[in-house]
Amino acid sequence: MNRVVLADLGYVVPELILLGMALVLILFARRIRESQAAAIGTVAAAVAAALAAMSGSSAEAQSAFAGMIVVDGYSRFFTVLIAAALALATLLSTQDSDHEAVPRGEYHSLLLLAAVGMMIAVSTPDLLTLYLGLELMTVCSYILVGITRKRQASIEGAIKYFLVASFASAILLYGISLTYGITGATDFTAIASALSEHSLGSNPLLVVAIVLVVCGLAFKVAAVPFHAWAPDAYQGASAPVAAFLAAASKAAGLAALGRVVLAAFGSQAMVLSVILWGLAALSLLAGSIVSMAQTDMKRLLAYSSIAHAGYALLGLLAGTPEGISATMTYAFLYVFMTLGAFGVVVALGERGETLDGYQGLAAQRPAIAGVFLVFLLSLSGFPPTAGFMAKFTVILSAVRTGHVLLAVLAVVCSVISAFVYMRVAVAMFMKEPQQPAPARFPMAVSAALAIAVVVTLMGGVLPGLLLPWAVSP
Amino acid sequence: MTAYPVLTVTTFLPLVGAVLVLLAGSGGRAKGIALATAAATLAVSTPLYRHFDKSSGNLQFVESHPWIPSWNISYGMGIDGISLVFIFLSALLTILCVSVSWTAVRTRTREFYASLLVAETAMIGLFAASNLFLFFIFWELIVIPLFLLIGIWGGERRVYATVKFLIFTLAGSVLMLVGMIALYNICGTLDFRALVAARDSIRPSHQFWLFLAFLAAFAVKVPMFPVHTWLPDAHTEAPTAGSVILAGILLKMGAYGFLRISIPVFPDALQIFLTPLLTVSAIAIVYGAYVTLLQKDIKRLIAYSSVSHMGFVTLGIFTLDPTGVEGAILQMINHGIVTSALFLCVGMIYERTHTREIKDYGGVAKAAPVYSSLLALFCLAALGFPGLNSFVGEFLIVSSAFRIAPWLGAMAVWGVALGTTYVVWLFYRVVMGKLNPGLEKLRLELNTREIATLAPLAILAVTLGLNPDLVLSYLRGPVAYLLTGVMP
Repeated sequence: MNRVVLADLGYVVPELILLGMALVLILFARRIRESQAAAIGTVAAAVAAALAAMSGSSAEAQSAFAGMIVVDGYSRFFTVLIAAALALATLLSTQDSDHEAVPRGEYHSLLLLAAVGMMIAVSTPDLLTLYLGLELMTVCSYILVGITRKRQASIEGAIKYFLVASFASAILLYGISLTYGITGATDFTAIASALSEHSLGSNPLLVVAIVLVVCGLAFKVAAVPFHAWAPDAYQGASAPVAAFLAAASKAAGLAALGRVVLAAFGSQAMVLSVILWGLAALSLLAGSIVSMAQTDMKRLLAYSSIAHAGYALLGLLAGTPEGISATMTYAFLYVFMTLGAFGVVVALGERGETLDGYQGLAAQRPAIAGVFLVFLLSLSGFPPTAGFMAKFTVILSAVRTGHVLLAVLAVVCSVISAFVYMRVAVAMFMKEPQQPAPARFPMAVSAALAIAVVVTLMGGVLPGLLLPWAVSP
Repeated sequence: MTAYPVLTVTTFLPLVGAVLVLLAGSGGRAKGIALATAAATLAVSTPLYRHFDKSSGNLQFVESHPWIPSWNISYGMGIDGISLVFIFLSALLTILCVSVSWTAVRTRTREFYASLLVAETAMIGLFAASNLFLFFIFWELIVIPLFLLIGIWGGERRVYATVKFLIFTLAGSVLMLVGMIALYNICGTLDFRALVAARDSIRPSHQFWLFLAFLAAFAVKVPMFPVHTWLPDAHTEAPTAGSVILAGILLKMGAYGFLRISIPVFPDALQIFLTPLLTVSAIAIVYGAYVTLLQKDIKRLIAYSSVSHMGFVTLGIFTLDPTGVEGAILQMINHGIVTSALFLCVGMIYERTHTREIKDYGGVAKAAPVYSSLLALFCLAALGFPGLNSFVGEFLIVSSAFRIAPWLGAMAVWGVALGTTYVVWLFYRVVMGKLNPGLEKLRLELNTREIATLAPLAILAVTLGLNPDLVLSYLRGPVAYLLTGVMP
């Protein structure tokens, strides 16, 4: 038994790399005075993890740890994505960290551990391991949100996040236990076969179980009505943490949801499509409409990320491999544009926090205003940016499965969102500067922004490079 | 045939120029690069006119490369005669836009010229695209530079105007996005010619909804009554170059879309919508003309006259009569020439007087005879004076309209009469009479650069008036193709 486990470690190399770096940072936490050292280590670990995930390139799905971990194209795709998000978020963390008096060692090891949790969540075919992975991610996230202790909003955001998310975890766990009670399994394949063999379709408890599991996961992707934590948590957290939460934890949640929807509950298309339809429609509507009223930039981006959860769910709604691929593409491109948008907030420091701070930015710092315009256009879904291709693929998937009404709702909401994003563009380009030009920011932040811009433009011009990788489990 | 892929180079050369402009050290150098790029773009497009085969009904200068294999979408370019004339107009007008902005734009010069060049890429690309996906990308792309052009360098209410413009066009185009995706789902292709070939596989009930989705986008861009309200604000507040691009090219995109998609691909739905569309066209002609009569602001007056003129264009298109459609396309070119020229004229005098109110003018003829003569020429062209370009287009449209339904012809003639009234009245108030005391101290006469800017349009107005076949000969083949199986 022990030998089997040792050999299985080869399948979790990316997770082990991040875990190792997290432990090293914790061990040396007190010695780390220079914030750079911890950041460099984290980025190096993230890059190594991404490379390790990409190198294991056999097409066959391989399972390890007695079926608790599966390594397939799907898990590799999201592992690379999470590692990339981790690297970019770490680069963004180099700005503005010293006067916040955040312990660097702990901060970066928490980021690493959260990423480990996400990677486990995206590469497990078992409900319990999925729960563990998501919990590891969420517990680290609570602390990361509250780690800037000197700011009142940070603590408040962390507590709200903790209360709402622990409630969500309970819902998820309850759903898992009901599923186990009905099917006698936590393994996705076993659940699926139990559901198809015995005609359990009419079992009302099963409906409850599916609703609870899906809703528990909907908390992680911040879909309405399970979104209430996101605006407060993002606003309270420091901008790099908000970026990491908005990008990576949403991607992980979508990945987990995708696998559950397709592999475990695939036979219950009726129930799933009703729940996901509702979640998507509400997220689109509430996310775009409420974002109109925001004056805080991180809150605005939080509501925008809620609306984007709605778009991403359009792919899952189809319940087909093509639909899952569409959501994967969406998640990938969304991660980079969101990290980029938050990256601009990070780069501008204090001034980036409120909408008013953007007035006249183009006259003072044309380059960063231009970069932000690219991200805003991408978030609005304008060609030739990645946002358009992402929108195209999920709407195509919705139309293919006959959800034309939802597709129309989605694009109407995108007009509302575009109005919100363009308000920022108006402030940047068409208003006079009210505040002195923002201070310079570290090279690492520029590098993160550059990577995000390149991916956002490449994703819009040459989406063909990405699409073959987005294969459903 | 040619040493380089003409359409791709013509389309993306301005984009390269835009990058160079942004990298230019100073505003002065940026202007130079912009002018050179615009001129070079026209130069590299010359093989299109020299080697174009008017007798062939096929797409020419075709380029096709796989682009997004998993969606079966290719990068496809190729033009017919209709595209060709618009590409020429786009390339020409961009040069004039750079020239007219030479001294008028003093702030953030690099961004201005970069936006202008990005707009040129979008305009040319839109007309060169041979599939709907690429068409849609350029369709959306042009909104961004115009949003910036109006919002940054526009008049006093520029932010309101630009946001209104953005929201209107976006609301239309997202519905087209859904329509495009649904069309792709049904036909499995987005290539224009392949769509026409596959049109029989679209059920009439689907056609109905698809037609509506595309109508939303095209009607806003044209703009058709009653979704025209963004136009007066955008045209009025835009800087001169922005007004020229809006009037010259952007308004034509919607009508071009009708010709490329709505008419050939949805023939069944077209029959249902034909009467309402003809009716709103007629309303736009007459209503637009009456509202034009009321305007006190020169730019706003020209903007509203565009509503009326574009009513003629859509009327001509929806007669579905080859004569009417050819007349409509010719009229689009004419409107692009004449209205652009009028906006240029207004922009030039505004640069000196800083007022657009008609009552602040009067007697300009005495102070600026060359300017007044050119303005007179363009005014005559705008009202459809025989021997100048608009006359032929209007004549073809009106005669087709009479053939379809006499009342449509009557409305169109009514519109022509009103058009004469508002143009002559405008000319009278601005140019004739005693010189307005407020203008006495100003040097109103045009300089050489400005005369050179207007000259190409003046030459075109006269040439096309005397020899409309210069454009019409390009249109016969493609119009016959687009109307095959569609004519009532």
